[in-house]
Amino acid sequence: MELLLAGINHKSGAPVSVRENLAAKGTPEILRRLREAGWTEAVVISTCNRCEVYVVRSGGAPCGGLSELARLVEGLGGTNLGSHLYRRQGAEAVNHLFCVTAGLDSLVLGENEILGQVKTAYEAAFAAGATGKLTNILFQRALFVGKKVRGETGISAGQLSVSSVAVALAERIFGSLKESSVLILGAGQMAELAARHLLSAKVSRLYIANRTFERGRELAEKFQAEAVRWEDFPRLLRSVDVVLTSTGATEPVLTRAMVSAAMEARMGRSLFLIDIAMPRDVEDVAGELDQVYLYTLKDLQGIVDENMGQRRKEIIAAQALVDRVTEEFAGWLTDTAAGKKASLRHAPGRSARRGERPFGGAS
Amino acid sequence: MMELVLFQAAAALYTAGTVLGFIYLWNRGERWSRWMYYLLAVGVAFHLASSGLRLAAFWAIPENRFFVPINSFFGALSAMTLAITGTFIVVEGRHRLGILGAFVLPWAWLAAAGTAFRGYSMGGTEIHGLAPALQSYWMNIHPLVIMVSYAIFGNAFGVGLALLIQERQLRSKRPQELCYRLPSIEELDNLNYRLIAVAFPILTVGIIMGGIWAHEAWGRFWGWDAKETWSLITALIYAVFLHMRLVAGWRGRKAVYTSMCGFACVLFTFIGVNFISQLHGYLSAR
Repeated sequence: MELLLAGINHKSGAPVSVRENLAAKGTPEILRRLREAGWTEAVVISTCNRCEVYVVRSGGAPCGGLSELARLVEGLGGTNLGSHLYRRQGAEAVNHLFCVTAGLDSLVLGENEILGQVKTAYEAAFAAGATGKLTNILFQRALFVGKKVRGETGISAGQLSVSSVAVALAERIFGSLKESSVLILGAGQMAELAARHLLSAKVSRLYIANRTFERGRELAEKFQAEAVRWEDFPRLLRSVDVVLTSTGATEPVLTRAMVSAAMEARMGRSLFLIDIAMPRDVEDVAGELDQVYLYTLKDLQGIVDENMGQRRKEIIAAQALVDRVTEEFAGWLTDTAAGKKASLRHAPGRSARRGERPFGGAS
Repeated sequence: MMELVLFQAAAALYTAGTVLGFIYLWNRGERWSRWMYYLLAVGVAFHLASSGLRLAAFWAIPENRFFVPINSFFGALSAMTLAITGTFIVVEGRHRLGILGAFVLPWAWLAAAGTAFRGYSMGGTEIHGLAPALQSYWMNIHPLVIMVSYAIFGNAFGVGLALLIQERQLRSKRPQELCYRLPSIEELDNLNYRLIAVAFPILTVGIIMGGIWAHEAWGRFWGWDAKETWSLITALIYAVFLHMRLVAGWRGRKAVYTSMCGFACVLFTFIGVNFISQLHGYLSAR
């Protein structure tokens, strides 16, 4: 039994049309072609940043090696890929898959979506009956490694966008945002982006106040928020927890005096002000009040940059962990191929090892 | 001898638990905080076993029978250690804030170290008969009730410390990883308040019990003895904290500073006053 891999990703420089052609073929079709060609097990990972084909060559089956696999992928992609297509086998292929699930191979270092994408790819192959003993264990293991790396290193620590940093900070102040309401001042593009992100954090209520009431109402309707007249927003400062400002005003619209008056009515409950406007919407001195936390676009961007740098620093540790589990897996593979009884440490789920349901156990 | 061995085992476990609490402060990985909890629980069990043996030895003297042996600095510190670790285990079990270990356990560790030092190293462990004034059922109630309140105040102090750090993190505009590991401002603030709201009535009841006992033993409720005075000051400071939080909305730093003043008074009442108090001087082994 040997594992083979052929694939392209965002780094390999293959023409975009190839990824499109492969995506257009559809995973079931590709899986069918791979099985027809004689490979006993096959999984296809297809996302907007990568298309990878993993197959298993069994001793007795009449199937090819890496070059045959590459030819088939090129045939499906509709062009000769040459060095754009990476080919790996054995432990190298395992290592590559583990790097992928660890987020080390992603465009955004350590991002989490890839875990779900690999899981979906594996489940699709499983449903099509294209997986077998090796791929079942390999992909369970890969997902386990992905989680392990994220848990034990800082490869996916910290947020990488201004709005997600803002949400994370709000959670550091209020805990869950489920009972917090948010006021957005302004109805521009930035306000819309922020509204979308805050809603995904499931805030209890969203208010939008804009100088031109109509525009505020349009945006509010889009997000099932409540539009507020501009004159009325100071009153809301007493009850909302987060205020995000993004108006085009040239003078501050939120003064220290307004915030101070609101704080007296808040009985000491914290207030989080996020000013992403240029020029600034909130008087700087407002942030000096007790229980008031003021972050500007520059502050948030600074945190994003720092988080990015922190993740880069974790590459070495993450890679080392991936290498270690690869070695362990390769050892298991050799032992199993030699007919020895072998087991993996901390295996993610026992059910897959017996070739039953995938994701049945605590994987 | 067994009593000492058991206590040493407990102290070692408390130390290890405290160290794990600090490791968890800097290291993600839930196993640190889980083991902190387990070690602490086993430590409490050993400590209880050790205290059980001590109790048996104490009761060997007829007039001591069925009174708790906290008539010495050693005994009081040992009980205090148990109270802090016990309340921490309850708070931690309910709120699952492993990160608080680093802020609360040092107090338990200090108390344990004090117990070991004052008791086992300096020979403060010899057992005497209780003074006649202490031979009252109040002996089993009044000091223990007060100690439970002190232990909860100690937990609240740890929570307050975490709150100050979290606030500083958020104000810095460059929060470090610690900020994301600590509970939120509002959670810490509420927990600090709730712990004090529980401990305050216990302390008040404890002081009133002391008054009743004083009436039975010395014929007056209140005599402005140093311990009495300072416990009253402690209660007043915490009363101010609770009042200002509920009525004037004192939160965050200002509130924490107030509650910390209260805890400073707790420490002074518990330890410092023993050296100036005439009537509560038993702890200084007079």
